[in-house]
Amino acid sequence: MNVIRAIQMYIDKMISDAGAGMKLLMMDRETISIVSMAFAQSEMLQKEVFLFERLDSVRSNEKLKYLKCIVFVRPTKDNIFLLQQELQSPKFGSYYIYFSNIIPRTDIKILAESDEGESVQDFKEIYADYLPVNPNLFSLHIPTCLQALNWNPEALERSTQGLVSVLLSFKFRPAIRYRSGSTAAQTLAKKVHETINKETALFSFRPPEDGAAPPLLLILDRRDDPITPLLNQWTYQAMVHELLTINKQRVDLSGVAGVPKDLKEVVLSTEQDEFYANNLYANFGEIATTIKVLMDEFQKKAHDQRKIESIADMKNFVETYPQFRKMSGTVTKHLVLISELSVQVGQQQLFEVSELEQEIACRADHSTQLQRVKRLVSEGKISTANALRLVLLYAMRYERHANCDTSGLLKLLQERGGRPHIAPRMLEYISTVARQELFNTVKITDAVKLTRNLIKELKGVENVYAQHECVLKGTLEEIIKGRPLDAQYPIMGNEVPFRRPPAEVIVFIVGGATYEEALAVHRYNQEGHRIVLGGTTIHNSESFIEEVLAATVGVPFKHSRSLQQFHHAPAGTA
Amino acid sequence: MDNPFDMHDKESATSSSGAFLLPADGEILEGFLCPICKCDLRTPERLTVHVEHEHSEEQDLLKSLKEIFSIARQGILLKGKKKPSQTGGSDGGAGEPMSAARFGSETGVALGSAGTANNPLLQPGNQTVGCSCEHMAYFKAVRSPRLERYAAETNKLIIRLDKLLDGLPTEPDLKKRHEQSKVPWIDGKLVKLCPTCAKSFGITRRQHHCRVCGSVMCDSCSRYLTLEEAGRLVNPTTISPGAGGALPAEPQPGAPVNESSHFRVCEHCMRLLMIRMETQDWKRERPLVKQFYETLRKERTDIEPHIGMYRRILDSLYEGDVIYRLSDASTLREKIGRSAEKLDNVSKSLQTLRATVGSREDALKKAIRLGCISYIKERMLSIPPLPVEEEIKRIQHRKRQDTERRLERERQLALEAFERLELQSGGSVDVGADRQNGSSSSSSTASTAEMTNGRYGAAVSTMDNWTGTQTGPSNTTSDPLIDQINIVKGYIRQARAALRFEEVATLERNLSELTQEFYYRQRLDTDAKPQELQ
Repeated sequence: MNVIRAIQMYIDKMISDAGAGMKLLMMDRETISIVSMAFAQSEMLQKEVFLFERLDSVRSNEKLKYLKCIVFVRPTKDNIFLLQQELQSPKFGSYYIYFSNIIPRTDIKILAESDEGESVQDFKEIYADYLPVNPNLFSLHIPTCLQALNWNPEALERSTQGLVSVLLSFKFRPAIRYRSGSTAAQTLAKKVHETINKETALFSFRPPEDGAAPPLLLILDRRDDPITPLLNQWTYQAMVHELLTINKQRVDLSGVAGVPKDLKEVVLSTEQDEFYANNLYANFGEIATTIKVLMDEFQKKAHDQRKIESIADMKNFVETYPQFRKMSGTVTKHLVLISELSVQVGQQQLFEVSELEQEIACRADHSTQLQRVKRLVSEGKISTANALRLVLLYAMRYERHANCDTSGLLKLLQERGGRPHIAPRMLEYISTVARQELFNTVKITDAVKLTRNLIKELKGVENVYAQHECVLKGTLEEIIKGRPLDAQYPIMGNEVPFRRPPAEVIVFIVGGATYEEALAVHRYNQEGHRIVLGGTTIHNSESFIEEVLAATVGVPFKHSRSLQQFHHAPAGTA
Repeated sequence: MDNPFDMHDKESATSSSGAFLLPADGEILEGFLCPICKCDLRTPERLTVHVEHEHSEEQDLLKSLKEIFSIARQGILLKGKKKPSQTGGSDGGAGEPMSAARFGSETGVALGSAGTANNPLLQPGNQTVGCSCEHMAYFKAVRSPRLERYAAETNKLIIRLDKLLDGLPTEPDLKKRHEQSKVPWIDGKLVKLCPTCAKSFGITRRQHHCRVCGSVMCDSCSRYLTLEEAGRLVNPTTISPGAGGALPAEPQPGAPVNESSHFRVCEHCMRLLMIRMETQDWKRERPLVKQFYETLRKERTDIEPHIGMYRRILDSLYEGDVIYRLSDASTLREKIGRSAEKLDNVSKSLQTLRATVGSREDALKKAIRLGCISYIKERMLSIPPLPVEEEIKRIQHRKRQDTERRLERERQLALEAFERLELQSGGSVDVGADRQNGSSSSSSTASTAEMTNGRYGAAVSTMDNWTGTQTGPSNTTSDPLIDQINIVKGYIRQARAALRFEEVATLERNLSELTQEFYYRQRLDTDAKPQELQ
């Protein structure tokens, strides 16, 4: 179960089906990112795909009849219309049309009727309708999916399609479970279930032999774990996303001082960058050591290259040059990234911030923590964004505490020019489940959690910056161990639930996944489990706060009446 | 592994393990046989355990047994890594591990750690391409009737065009009369509005007739087909359009045109005719870009297998095998170099073709050149350099010594086994007779030869020289074996000259088998009284 591989195989198939010859790949806004996350342009050139165009942008009328045109688009109304026009006056010799999802028959008819020149050679649905981020992580790139804490209809439609395509690309007909209490998760589960039942022909895979449990599709809700996206992360991929933001494998470094011209935007792909693939989940300390080793190796090689004395040396140089170039590119790229990370860590005092964040997330100690938050927020050494995060964590944790002083902290934040109006919105965003369970982890009735917490405390803290464990980790453990799930994660439809743990799990988080959760999944996969994580998007704290704001527009303030003075954004800010 | 000899290898490797150890009763036993009590234990694990328990006194035998299995395992790992799709099959029949052992000792050594380097869980493994849904059948079902109708309609129009062109007068009035005589025109009085733009006819908006279908439209909805275009439609083979951009420019609607050199046609007919013309032109045209590209493509598909072969030859050389020569590698390398140069040149001249800057064609040319450069860089220039001759010699020498030592040790073991057997059976087994029996039965000899060849390829090939000198003086062409050997040698020379290294490898293997066979026969002849196994 590798989502990148799944997409790559689809694209390969698409291109090889079109046969030999010069090809042009026609895509839309979304499929172009899907393709670019699976293959680099140079790889596509080797597959004889020389030109790339977008169906939905203005294009020239120049005709090149000797080109084969592979169309890979989503089945949207706009695309059907544009394609219809294209077929009526074809610019290329032949067309190979691939839709990335299920397309209505009426639309096929419309297109067939437009193909007067008989230029369409192939017409298929292939289910590559999601962005593969890591081998175990996919995204649908929906930055905000809720409005008034309910599904935005377009986002719901896209999420359903995305999940259906993930299932089809792995040939799964899963049992679907959703987090009880979350209407968003339930709605999506219902939609996916309906689609599976409607498209019986597509989902007619052989059931697993010897009565093994079917794959599980588990739909969760970000509102149940609002803590994870707010914490500072210390693994490489998560850190880069948090501090520099990864947007579809690309990191924009144009704002960073002293960056070489060709590194204004860098691509981080596990497929093309071995160093990155090996160090995605390495923590900040490890990565610094690794880059040092890489540097030494590189310098050694660079040194070897420099002393070109004889013709043999020269020849040797030319022969190893491509690898040399490649390596030098990798080294410079990661060096720039890592040095920028460490500059930011220093500037923003992230070690101190992160330690306190972890404390609040994992341990109840109101008075000490309040003092520390107060000090950090008022001292002004840390950025307002980090100050806001601390206040948000505090506000959520001690919402019901008798001496809760969120409003005092927000005042301090306001004085510093922060955005205090986010706190009440956050309190409205989090779900009832999160409110009740997230911080009151130890309930006497819950023996498992109680012992787990006890053990954790006995063992002590291995790393103060990575104490917090995302909710997903616990959930996955319950699934893997085969604990009863029906109460918390009811099954959709009237299928008889299997008692045995499923062999494959696809987890989807409505409201966005995080790289920390991808790390948790990765750890399980290393133990031999087969889990894929997906989300409407991949969040860092900044994008998560935007999502919270978008989701709570117009929601009445029920839980945060005491923070009335902060309900509205100060004039001049968003 | 696509030469016919491997088929035998698999069987012979196991049977020879039996033949090697105890073909006492002339019958060949197969499987995982215990060398002492001859029972078939079926799996290597059980065999090892059996020997451990039953024959614990023979420590050295156990050791060699374990060694064989560990080599076998290495071989399997190696196989699994090379062909991940076959992971399931590697623990198949009893014959498999033995042939794998051969495989392992041939190419193995350096690959010992390769099997563990990658975490199998992170490998894509058996992931297959996902679901897809075919709609072409439905698409065609909708499209075909329409296309047929259009085709019939277009053909009708073209027949009319043919008639119109036949004896067409140039004088406008005569032309009009001619046109009207060939195609019946619709009665203009019946039509009140222009069917295309729905505007009423009158003094300012006059009626016009389509010359091919006879329908009525207004002037601004008229299209014009030049006589030259009409001629091309009627008779596509005679007039060839200029290369590339000679497609007819979209006629300007309502543009002032000289009636004599055009046919006035309606929008609908124009469309049908233009579609026909485009497909006609497209089928005929062979633009330069395409021609150049096809050269590039052919060059690439031609050279691709050579690159793979070059790497295999190098691997084989570094393993100390003597199937290929260093000169083979260097000729191949030269060929790849020449091909790279050719690719570079062709793609360069492709880039110099004329195209407007910023056009699609321009971008295409640049992309092709770019793809070509990166192919040359990554596939062709990155091939490893030629090894140094001394180094290869050193490796071959070391390998030869290794195999000789192993051969010696196993002979020793076999000898001990025989002696023990002799003791047990009270000397009833005549080893010499058995030996003779084994070699006179051609199948058994062949299998022994193949086994030896496979596993101790280097050692066998060193005998090549020996046979050469031996046969030299007593060279009687009456011996079919020698003929055969000479023929095969000739083939090898030819294959080498033609750079067909796959064949060279097969033939070399063939040759060493022949010489092996020859060697045994010679020995049988000369040794009047065969000794025990040496």
